[in-house]
Amino acid sequence: MITILDAAYVVAILGGSILAAKAIAPYIAKIYTHGPSRLDRFLDPVENGVYRLIGVDVHRGMGWKEYFLSGLLVNLVQMAIAFVILTFQGELPLNPQGFSGVRWDLALNTVISIGTNTNLQHYNGETTLSYLSQMSAIQFLQFTSAATGICMGVAMIRCLLAGSKDLGNFYVDFVRSLTRLLIPFCLVAAVVLVALGVPQSLNGYQTISTVTGASQMILIGPIASLVSIMQLGTNGGGYFGANSAYPFQNPSPVSDVFEICLMLLLPTALIFVFGEMLGPEKKREYRPILVAAYSLFAIDLAIGFIPTTTLGPGMETRFGGFFSAFWTVVTTAVTTGSVNASLYAMHPFVILAAFMGMLIQATPGGKGVGLMYMIMFIIITVFVVGLMSGRTPEYLGMKITARDVKLVMVAFLIHPLVILVPTLVAFASGAAAQIGVSMNASGFTQVLYEFTSAASNNGSDFFGASANTPFWNISTAIVIFVGRYAPIAILLAMGGSMIGRKRSPEVGLKTDSLLFSGVLVASILILVVLTFFPFLAVGPILQYLHGQANFLG
Amino acid sequence: MRPIVGIALISLLLCGLFFPLLVTGIAQVVLPWQANGEILQPYGKPVGSNLIAQNFTQPIFFQPRNDSDSGVDPDITVQEAYAQIPGISNATGISQSQLKLLVDENTPLVSIVFGDPYVNVLTLNLALISQYPVYSSYR
Repeated sequence: MITILDAAYVVAILGGSILAAKAIAPYIAKIYTHGPSRLDRFLDPVENGVYRLIGVDVHRGMGWKEYFLSGLLVNLVQMAIAFVILTFQGELPLNPQGFSGVRWDLALNTVISIGTNTNLQHYNGETTLSYLSQMSAIQFLQFTSAATGICMGVAMIRCLLAGSKDLGNFYVDFVRSLTRLLIPFCLVAAVVLVALGVPQSLNGYQTISTVTGASQMILIGPIASLVSIMQLGTNGGGYFGANSAYPFQNPSPVSDVFEICLMLLLPTALIFVFGEMLGPEKKREYRPILVAAYSLFAIDLAIGFIPTTTLGPGMETRFGGFFSAFWTVVTTAVTTGSVNASLYAMHPFVILAAFMGMLIQATPGGKGVGLMYMIMFIIITVFVVGLMSGRTPEYLGMKITARDVKLVMVAFLIHPLVILVPTLVAFASGAAAQIGVSMNASGFTQVLYEFTSAASNNGSDFFGASANTPFWNISTAIVIFVGRYAPIAILLAMGGSMIGRKRSPEVGLKTDSLLFSGVLVASILILVVLTFFPFLAVGPILQYLHGQANFLG
Repeated sequence: MRPIVGIALISLLLCGLFFPLLVTGIAQVVLPWQANGEILQPYGKPVGSNLIAQNFTQPIFFQPRNDSDSGVDPDITVQEAYAQIPGISNATGISQSQLKLLVDENTPLVSIVFGDPYVNVLTLNLALISQYPVYSSYR
């Protein structure tokens, strides 16, 4: 079990992040409701210039298809640009280490992975990518995928508002997400990170002679700017292969706590933004989402904290056992996927907690998309409760139709489909054995984790650069792509049909009550556990039982 | 097509160049030591980074761990440092109590606050070099 001091840190970090998220929510809501802001004087001319340049009519709203397709197509062009930069980095500037171009299958995997906010990395950035690639391929896509996720979440919220006529304009939401949220917040975060010891330089790797006369390469680069967006945008893709275990990405326990707070900030803030945008009458409807997200997160943490994690091989001294395990649970609860210790070093229960975060995807999940998944679970719960009580299911005064329920079920079922089928293919085709995965419980855990992480746009993994083979690059790229865009499209399709739907004063189920929060938590647990239990049982749970059996002799 | 390609290019310039270059400019001007990797130069020339472990194979020095995830973990726990004291004392003739004092003096407060006290190996060894004549050849 954890110590009282550790428990106090958990409470302080989570409590502080929730309070900070609540404090910034009104500002974020105004970005998307176009409320007045002191920044307008500086940013309005810039943004209007951009709209004129690209030919966008600010006042033209979009239906769900146009909103989604705009996002998808913009993302595809961004990925294509990044693909070109990675492939030709050898011929491009800002390459002091002289790295050659990235092979096509790795470049494809990388741009899809980073461009969808997944950040599964089959490469070690410090030995593979030029400064230009780190900035203009990786950081670039980390910003744009974060902005896209937020836009989709905000569009979903607009679908649920009583007065909405459309989902808004994707281009306007995207530009404002960058200019008013991500870039200013990341600028502050990056400067703080530099002050805490994260380098930010374009001077090339430095070769020095050590105290005892050996030659050592000091791997500095544009690291702080990348770390700011990778944590704040819940991206997770690191500058280094060792990610946030590498001291230059995460130099001390102070930077560790700061980065954990950065990860939690926006996914939590968007829950409050939901309340803000619903308006004074319905504002309380954010509560069941917050309560459910953090109750499930608390369950994850409790599972992860059952074993006492002590400092061991694969962990960094400055974080110790506790902050290594804590990070692993947080990074999967918000689908960031950065790691500060090797997953191989973790107790099976910590891995089980990580699985729970990635399988639910809403605890609170990635910014924007986590909220969409929670709304998906709410619709399912409202429907089930309606069946049990014999009333017409309603949410926010709207009748929930048979089509809504069909769509959310399809959205839900995509997740097991894109995780379990490829896991079996990887074993059956011999691709798992090819990269040295054993045919036992830990091998199964590793492969299941790889595809779960890919499908939930998390990005943490056991394999890293060892999975840089055509099979793993292409299979995970497909899983990532479907796992990202298919549920978003389906949930926006459902949301689109709610625009203009008749609202009546609520008479039936009170969805802002504590009772409903409890029912929501229970139905999420039942749905996810029923779906995945058999697979978790032959993975981390069997690993744990093996360990116990060995211990007992 | 124009909005799609246009916004992709503008976001590339804004997020992929302007932002990292702006952070680099601010960092290099305001916080140059941190921005360049906290390079230590106790005797005029760089000997390493405060944040990156380096190899010490001789028995007169404290040794870093080499099983950790990053491969360059700069720290060891205070317990691990204590365990190395008898060996270093034997090799150098410095008393064990003086070495223990050195470890304690160099244990940062932040590591105590977060529950797992540790020391930076390079800091420890540089302190040895500056304080004891047996290390004078390393100055």
